[in-house]
Amino acid sequence: MNAIVSKESTSVARTASARKFDPACAPGSPVYGEILHFLYQEAELLDDCRFEQWLGLFSDDIHYTMPVRTTQFRARGAGFQDVSFFDDNINSLSTRVKRLQTGAAWAETPPSRTRHFLSNILVAPGERANEYAVSAGFMVTRSRGDQGYQFFTGLREDLLRRLDSGVFRIARRQILVDQTIITGTNLSIFF
Amino acid sequence: MPHTSTRLSTGDDLETLVRPAEGLISRCIFADPEIYGLELERIFARSWFFIGHESEVPDPGDIVARQCGVDPVILVRDESGVVRAFLNSCRHRGMRVCRTDRDHAKSLRCPYHGWSYSTSGALLAASSEHHYGEGELDKSELGLIPVARLGSYRGLVFGSWDANAPALEDWLGDMRWYMDIIFGRTGEIEFVGVPQVWEVECSWKFATDNFTDNFHVYWAHQSLVELGMLPSDPDFASHGHMVTAGNGHILHFVHGAPGVDAFQGLGLPKSLWPRFQQNLNPAQAAIAQAHGYSAGTMWPNFHWLQLVTAGDTSSEPIGILNLRLEVPLTPTRTRMYSWFAIDKEASPEYRKHSYETYVRSFGPAGIFDQDDMENWEECTVAAKGPAAKRYALHHKMGLGRTPDPRWTGPGVSYADSYGEMTQRAWYAEWLRCMQRPTRATPALLRPALAKAAT
Repeated sequence: MNAIVSKESTSVARTASARKFDPACAPGSPVYGEILHFLYQEAELLDDCRFEQWLGLFSDDIHYTMPVRTTQFRARGAGFQDVSFFDDNINSLSTRVKRLQTGAAWAETPPSRTRHFLSNILVAPGERANEYAVSAGFMVTRSRGDQGYQFFTGLREDLLRRLDSGVFRIARRQILVDQTIITGTNLSIFF
Repeated sequence: MPHTSTRLSTGDDLETLVRPAEGLISRCIFADPEIYGLELERIFARSWFFIGHESEVPDPGDIVARQCGVDPVILVRDESGVVRAFLNSCRHRGMRVCRTDRDHAKSLRCPYHGWSYSTSGALLAASSEHHYGEGELDKSELGLIPVARLGSYRGLVFGSWDANAPALEDWLGDMRWYMDIIFGRTGEIEFVGVPQVWEVECSWKFATDNFTDNFHVYWAHQSLVELGMLPSDPDFASHGHMVTAGNGHILHFVHGAPGVDAFQGLGLPKSLWPRFQQNLNPAQAAIAQAHGYSAGTMWPNFHWLQLVTAGDTSSEPIGILNLRLEVPLTPTRTRMYSWFAIDKEASPEYRKHSYETYVRSFGPAGIFDQDDMENWEECTVAAKGPAAKRYALHHKMGLGRTPDPRWTGPGVSYADSYGEMTQRAWYAEWLRCMQRPTRATPALLRPALAKAAT
């Protein structure tokens, strides 16, 4: 586990936006439209607290991460570290969802009201024929109890996989936050 | 003239509001700006505070930006390998000279006017030096301001802004005996990577109170009980001892219920248990062997959490070592630091499993931790009003309990890990510190500051 002691994560890299223009998955293409629809539906599931259905969008080999970011000079990279806020597989994501359903997960009982906004979405072919690298800017607003708004912004780097049935599954998600210090109480919501 | 009064502008005395011997703590100390102002002067400018671990700055030139108390500092390993800490503020116009969270550099240059400092704090160059007249710029007096006292124990670096503070080892006192167990059980401990940092709209003291509170676990983390990740017995975390180790330092050691043997050896793999005997004295080794869970507070705001838990419903429970620090930003807003640490002797497999379990359980996204922050914020909201302060919080559990003479460690120990003896000891130290005189500001302007280095 030497990886987690290194000072700068080497695993964080832009995927979709780093590729050349590909008309097959550029805005306006059928694939781009399908992926846009998939991501908007996912956001709707989260904002409606339909977490069990949301969990169904992930493949069994999902790696869902949110690396800690630090402020540092540009020459030293973007500041993403190997220590994470989230480092989940399908079992731990599933545990998070089951926890929210117990009625005793006080951080979300009563629930936060969230809105997941996505923009600047880019799609590129993945390494395999049925996979796509998708990057999306996000802004998540959270209203909780009688408190003011909390904001979370950043970039999501997803690997989407199309199954034989034609539907997409999320096989990898890196949540690259803009904040180095999370100013929103806790991270009891999903991204 | 030092300001010694504990009387507030409302006419209330701190001694009336905080009565540890009776288990009565006014809600107002968790929100009142005037009390917070006194805390800054009498606690955060005076006591010893955790800054960082030596493993966070392994090489000469390594720098991390932190706080000592509430003041911004840089922790740096200088060119000769000595760990030092300085106020992160240029001697000229006061700008922060380190504006990143971590860096590696031969020197630090302030971007405002270009004053530059060596990693040992010396002023190497000021700006436009030939425009200064005779005696106007004494560079030998204008090095970075060192934290007045700096010391380390077991790799943990602490600093104090009070040049007259007791020596670190005296201040830690008996707590060192227990820190040896947590930070020396198998050899050395290392802090892994960077801390998670986040801010919670709560009083810093609700977090410190929580980290010595075992009986909240069953209720506050009820969701994990329902998932079968915690025992369904409300008394499951009560089997053990709590210790008040002096100077406000407090801790718990917890073992499993009678007949439950999974909750021991500090959650470490059995292959590492023989190291307890090699690294600890027999009494310490026996405590490490017999307990699975420990929480300790190095007064006032630095904590260890040594736990056995699982990161998800499909994984086996495993030991994790989590270090926590609360830095207040306002009376009701706190910056939280959470580090993952591990035994250098741990196998790569154990290391990976322990890390994954930590990150899924603790920190702002941790399925354990999330609910604590909810509690701290809600407690703070309800402490703000003028009516609330008339009413005390209840810290009376175990008020009549007598110490357990069978405990083999130093300090005063009580059997049964459910009780509020440790909180009462914490608040008693808080009150003692708040009764200290507030230093008059001019004393701080003296240029000669103690050389401080570990």
